[in-house]
Amino acid sequence: MTTSPPGSLLTAHDLRKAYGPTHALDGAEFSIHPGEVVAIMGPSGSGKSTLLHCLAGIVPPDSGSITYNGHELTKMSDAQRSALRRSGFGFVFQFGQLVPELTCVENVALPLRLNGSSRKDAERTALGWMERLEVDDLKAKRPGEVSGGQGQRVAVARALVTGPRLLFADEPTGALDSFNGERVMELLTEAARSTNAAVVLVTHEARVAAYADREIVVRDGQSRDMERAV
Amino acid sequence: MSPRQWARDLVMGARFAVTGGREGWVRMTLTAVGVGLGVALLLLCTALPNVFAARTRVEDARYANVYSQKVPPKADNTFLIAQADTTWHDDDILGRFVEPEGKRAPLPPGVDAFPGKGEMVVSPALKDLLASDDAKLLRERLPYKITGTIGESGLIGSHELAYYAGASGLKLTDFSPVHRLTEYGHPDSTPEKTDPVLLLMVLVVFVVLLTPVAVFIAAAVRFGGERRDRRLAALRLVGSDSRMTRRIAAGEALAGALLGLVIGTGFFLLGRQALGSTEVLGVSVWPSYLDPSPALAALVAVAIPAAAVLVTLLAMRGVVVEPLGVVRAAKQRRRRLWWRLLPPLAGLAMLYPMIGKGRKSGGFNQYLVIGGVLLLLIGITALLPWVVEAVVVRLGKGALSWQLAVRRLQLSSGTAARMVNGIAVAVAGAIALQMLFTGTQSQYTKATGKDPGRVQMQVDFSDRKPLSGVEREFTGTKGVRAAVAPATLEYGDARRNPKNSNGLTVGNCTALRELATLPSCKDGDVFITRTRSHYTSPSNADEIAVVKPGRQLYIDPSYDDATERGIEVPWTVPANVRVVDARKDSLQDANGLLVTPAALPAKAAPALFSDGVYLRLDPSVPDSREYIRNVVTRIDPLARTYSWSATQEDAKYTSIRTGLFVGSAFVLALIGASLLVSQLEQLRERRKLLSALVAFGTRRRTLSLSVLWQTALPVGLGLILATTVGITLGSVLLKMTRTPVAMDWASVLTMTGVGAAVVGVVTLLSLPPLLRMMRPEGLRTE
Ligand SMILES: Nc1ncnc2c1ncn2[C@@H]1O[C@H](COP(=O)(O)OP(=O)(O)O)[C@@H](O)[C@H]1O
Ligand SMILES: [Mg+2]
Repeated sequence: MTTSPPGSLLTAHDLRKAYGPTHALDGAEFSIHPGEVVAIMGPSGSGKSTLLHCLAGIVPPDSGSITYNGHELTKMSDAQRSALRRSGFGFVFQFGQLVPELTCVENVALPLRLNGSSRKDAERTALGWMERLEVDDLKAKRPGEVSGGQGQRVAVARALVTGPRLLFADEPTGALDSFNGERVMELLTEAARSTNAAVVLVTHEARVAAYADREIVVRDGQSRDMERAV
Repeated sequence: MSPRQWARDLVMGARFAVTGGREGWVRMTLTAVGVGLGVALLLLCTALPNVFAARTRVEDARYANVYSQKVPPKADNTFLIAQADTTWHDDDILGRFVEPEGKRAPLPPGVDAFPGKGEMVVSPALKDLLASDDAKLLRERLPYKITGTIGESGLIGSHELAYYAGASGLKLTDFSPVHRLTEYGHPDSTPEKTDPVLLLMVLVVFVVLLTPVAVFIAAAVRFGGERRDRRLAALRLVGSDSRMTRRIAAGEALAGALLGLVIGTGFFLLGRQALGSTEVLGVSVWPSYLDPSPALAALVAVAIPAAAVLVTLLAMRGVVVEPLGVVRAAKQRRRRLWWRLLPPLAGLAMLYPMIGKGRKSGGFNQYLVIGGVLLLLIGITALLPWVVEAVVVRLGKGALSWQLAVRRLQLSSGTAARMVNGIAVAVAGAIALQMLFTGTQSQYTKATGKDPGRVQMQVDFSDRKPLSGVEREFTGTKGVRAAVAPATLEYGDARRNPKNSNGLTVGNCTALRELATLPSCKDGDVFITRTRSHYTSPSNADEIAVVKPGRQLYIDPSYDDATERGIEVPWTVPANVRVVDARKDSLQDANGLLVTPAALPAKAAPALFSDGVYLRLDPSVPDSREYIRNVVTRIDPLARTYSWSATQEDAKYTSIRTGLFVGSAFVLALIGASLLVSQLEQLRERRKLLSALVAFGTRRRTLSLSVLWQTALPVGLGLILATTVGITLGSVLLKMTRTPVAMDWASVLTMTGVGAAVVGVVTLLSLPPLLRMMRPEGLRTE
């Protein structure tokens, strides 16, 4: 049993994950405090996404431990991890996470509805979040009909709608031009700070990482804290 | 798990199904139409027992019981009826002459009023046929005025050809086909016991036809599967757990299946109407016959949605709907063989105990037959994904088009196998059935002993008609090469109550040569055969002893107990009577004394009766048989005309086989449709990729070829597997019926060929949309 640093929200210790001969994670360490924004940097293929997926409980690591709020994530059942994703975590990916069949407001309301909220309540809350991300005028549109930047803002709204304590963002601006990218980052960090949600932000762009409180660099499956490196 | 949560998830899934925008609607519609087609076919099948029952009911109701022993006396409620069936090309026409003898005489079923002499009531189909341009010869044969049509209650199908013609003065004699009756109807309609092998065939036909339908429905439920998997992965990401996800998917399938039920009912009603007004392979029915039995219909209504949900849940077990499905494809585990071998092996195990049961040792267990055949066929759908995967992982090198196809198949061998499942199951079933039919055909085909090379048509006159040059009637008829008309009369050794009496055949030399081997023959010759019959009581010594040259005999002697007196013409046996050998293949059960017309006293002519006319036709004259039937009807409307054939098939056997062909046509069309849909769906899924490939310069030919390979590979593998299973099943079925197993490679090739052809047509049909998608502009769509 490893001890997590005092006051941290999520801690990972000695994570290992191999895909065949590829060691995507090779003893990575990670920790984040409530309300903190941490950027995970590193070259392509270094294991950033894999680290994020493990931290979020989407992909089980081969070994190592992940503690969220004092609970060992790797020992949870699928249903428990799903419930955690439903209410404790939020996700923003590069693209493709919106359900194309649903309208934007329905997409944002989706996590609430999965939690059992009524449609009306869920969509009212969803619309509030869409206003904060300045996409409330898109509520009746389907994801296929909106631009990339708008889609990402809808995704951010959806990630935050349940009031998660931890937001996972994997290259959220990767498919956007710099102007739209900056706008999404501004809104994302603003919204996260206002609800005191911590953010794990995977990116390879320094400009995006600048929105973070702290940076971690991943190289060959191993993570290093920037402050120590500097 | 609370029911509320269940309901909520199912409803959410259903909402996904209906709120998908254009794309979603297309998918939902495809699924629903697919399920609907299956449902319609199932409903039609559940109606089949009713069809048989309804047809039998009508046939019994209009049956004229001419075999009744006692003839009722003429009364107020009696009528005379005579059978006057005829044939128009290959279609049989039911014909009756009816003559009411009193005011209370019952009308035939479906007829409103008796037609008078020279009039007739006809079925709607016969009315149309008579009105058509090319039915001139039929109009000549049935020159009666149409005064009404036969209603549904008197016909077994909308396209049945039938008429009731009015008559007056029909004669009721011992030899005429005229009968006096007081009512229509079959005296006892106890069904005959069905031959166990035929029953086996019926069962297997049903399973073989319905299994592909089931496979098809299973495939239809999964239309749009790849997109759905991605959507479900997106749901997983935002925190739906795997059970919730399954329920949502099930709800989606349920919505499609329910809409499919509605559409299927619509299809069924349309199909019922359409089938009721068309004729398939000479069989037609009335729409009202196609009423499914309520219990079976209810079963379909419950089973289809349930099956849709079940199939989805099963399919979901295979698809790892992991949250990352959106971002990256989860690695597939290799398929394992052992459990996939279980269904076919279990099927064989179920059929095994019935091997050698045959016809003698009682029937087959219906449940074992159905279960065994079903498992064997379903086994194909279990084995095929494994086979495709196992083969495809070993491929790879080759032209670019081949490489693209193989790589794609490696990624989604399941989708490819699923596409081919239906056709493979259908082909396997067809091969097995074909083997069963070919193997048992000889048991259901009787040799008639008639040689169609010698005579093509035979006419039997209705009454003992005096013979007055019947041959001449046919000599001028188009298409007749020769007419042979032997006639008979009776002779005895005394004027009255002769001790020895016998039949005597009169005919010209051509006719007599058809009965016996004559060393020479001219008009005036008389012969007597050494054997009397060509198949019983060989010796004719007794008659030869009586027929001595110079002996006084009497033609048509009288009997004290007979109603009419004979003409008692004396005849002296001429000196030139010769003993000859009867032909083994004599046209008729040969008759000792053979006499040419000139050797008979002229006064004997009225005693001569036709024994039928045998006709040799000119095959180059197309309507020869119709001309002949017209001549016959003119001479004797109640005469019967037969075409000779060497063999005759058991009627039930033939109808089972016809049923199989009709059913197979439907099933193949259905499978073709489902193939086309999944092909198009696959293309749509890959639209972006295709246009990207084109955009950076891949030639269209390469892409088209790769799509072709992508279809041809799994289809080829599927057909090989289908052939293997089909031959296995066919051999087992033959062993069950104790028929030697013989491979009928021609039909195996035909069946696989038909399967391949369906796929070929589908691929051709999917080419235009493919070419359209391959425009680089496709990149921008979506
Ligand atoms: N599902 C997978 N299957 C096989 N290899 C994978 C899979 N996911 C990631 N990898 C491999 O793991 C390594 C790290 O990948 P990833 O975490 O996506 O890197 P990054 O996000 O930093 O670009 C890469 O070499 C990648 O090929
Ligand atoms: Mg990455």
